[in-house]
Amino acid sequence: MGVRQTRDFTENGGFYLRLSNTTYLVSDKGMFHHLKLWLKGSFRMSKLFQVSLFVPGVLLIVLLFAMLPALIQADPMNGGLHLMWGQAFSKIREYIEGIWTGQSFHYYAGQNELLFWEQIGNSLKVTSFYMVIGAVIGTIIGVLLGIYFAVSRAGWLMRLMELFGALPDFVIVILLQFIVVLVAMKTGVVLAKVGSFNHNEPAILLPLLSTIIIPASFMIRNVALHMKHTLTEDYINFAKSRGLTKGYIIFHHALPNVLPFIKADLHKFMGILFGNLFIFEYLYNLLGVTLLVFVNAFGMHGYQYNLVVNGILTFLLLYAAVYLLLRLMIIGWEKVLTR
Amino acid sequence: MNRTLLTGLIITVILIAMSLIGPYLVPYNESKEATVHYSVDANGQGTLVVPPLSPNAEYPLGTDKTGNDLLAKIIAGSRYTILVTIVVAFARTCIGGIAGLFLGYFGKDKIKSARRLPLWNVLNGIPIFIIVWMVMIGISINAVIPPLFLTIMLAVVMTMVGIPSVATTIREKTLVIRDKQFIISARSIGASPMTIIRTHIFPHMKESLIILFVQEIVLILGLMGQLAIFNVFVGGSTMYFDPVEYVSRTNEWTGLIGQARNYLYVYQWILVFPLLAYLLFIFGFHLISVGLESIYKDKFSKVSHL
Repeated sequence: MGVRQTRDFTENGGFYLRLSNTTYLVSDKGMFHHLKLWLKGSFRMSKLFQVSLFVPGVLLIVLLFAMLPALIQADPMNGGLHLMWGQAFSKIREYIEGIWTGQSFHYYAGQNELLFWEQIGNSLKVTSFYMVIGAVIGTIIGVLLGIYFAVSRAGWLMRLMELFGALPDFVIVILLQFIVVLVAMKTGVVLAKVGSFNHNEPAILLPLLSTIIIPASFMIRNVALHMKHTLTEDYINFAKSRGLTKGYIIFHHALPNVLPFIKADLHKFMGILFGNLFIFEYLYNLLGVTLLVFVNAFGMHGYQYNLVVNGILTFLLLYAAVYLLLRLMIIGWEKVLTR
Repeated sequence: MNRTLLTGLIITVILIAMSLIGPYLVPYNESKEATVHYSVDANGQGTLVVPPLSPNAEYPLGTDKTGNDLLAKIIAGSRYTILVTIVVAFARTCIGGIAGLFLGYFGKDKIKSARRLPLWNVLNGIPIFIIVWMVMIGISINAVIPPLFLTIMLAVVMTMVGIPSVATTIREKTLVIRDKQFIISARSIGASPMTIIRTHIFPHMKESLIILFVQEIVLILGLMGQLAIFNVFVGGSTMYFDPVEYVSRTNEWTGLIGQARNYLYVYQWILVFPLLAYLLFIFGFHLISVGLESIYKDKFSKVSHL
């Protein structure tokens, strides 16, 4: 026996109950709706449609989004606001024309005209290093500590954690830097580099810490919240009454039912991870993708639209890669935990 | 009323009172700044006084590089910080809450995330401060626009980017309540949708809305800080060349932090004091939100079996 169930979504207070091969929709009205498992045909059609819409959609959004600083301009004389539609759309036209001539992949860093392809490699290496580490280790630590906080009786620890999570990311970065400076001033021991003074000797320890701490703190709170909620369910009581050990219940009964929530909030998690990236690359002076774009966005000849577009596209590719990585990791966990 | 909530309320009330009364006690004017001078004490020892001055009797929080009293600056800027965050949070919860109630009541069931357009999911992943930054960067630096107008603009932009998340949260809660029996019975006796939303659904949302409001304040403070790190200050930034330097026009707290970012190694008080004020403000609202949550949790929540 053993009620092996996976709760998928909670909508209208109901959820899907998976028993062996059939899936039931349990609604809060107390009725069992028999659900046809996968609505194969129609589902796949719309999926194909969506995917075909996806790439041009993203491109269009990026092109329009990068246009904003060129679009919204203040009048230098009387301070009135102007929407320069003509100027903004000519940027898009120039960019698309420039793809064939190669002009879209040149940008100015100070006086020098540089080729985007030559510069992006190193930046991408730096950024992806921190992103992958932050995503993977942040998730693992987040889930484990989240479980711990949900189960432990140490309420003050959770409260401290919540307070820590309420601090904006840049404050955490500045505080970390401050600790190093203070320790160095008191004892003369420099624990870590506060930032990179040049790009040959980058700071490593503090950026690594911040890339892990900040997403992890979100994950901890998220997991702890859903874990606590899951532990109030009746099947946990049932499992306990069967004499299963605490660890078994947590990892094989509760955690599989928390994973869908982690999956659902993955984009939010990624948003925090990547938003944090902008902040810490800038504050630690790490020459990653975002710093490359940010430093050179307003160059010698005004706003460099093409650089911003290229930067955002690189950034999105990285986003997709890290997102897939995390999804794979969670799928792996599901395979191991759900038996 | 628990202790956490009370502490939070006291902190925020003190800060708000300070921003209202403070300007009369410690007025901020640029002409009163400390200048470079040579002073001789009783023993005949002479010292050269050069701003920034560290905290002393005359300037309790020290002065900045141009010799302005930091305390007066912080107090002058507090109005912007406090007012903007509260107004924006209020607007977000109001508009987002109403939108969420209507979307939840009239809308279809929650679209499963698997079947939702992936585009929408990806948009959720874009950090909000990047969006606001892209809108504001073109007009915020060395603007001719008066600071007040620029502050309002920024507030409007920050409100707009925050509405969807509030609306989604309220919408999901409304969807749950919509199917409850008392709604069905209200509908069966002929109550109009407006009446149902107003008298049957809204009362269930009050707690959520209050907590959301407080949490939004914390989020907005974070957002303003992130913008300030990238030189977009509330009320606009003045950019000086040689060396390139950005200065807040309104002395708003996150602006003060953003412009003092480089004072990590020397003259640290220029960075520390605005940062402390800012953290205290966040801390106060965080305590309020935790306190409220624990009150409501005691009322409604179930208990863990483990």
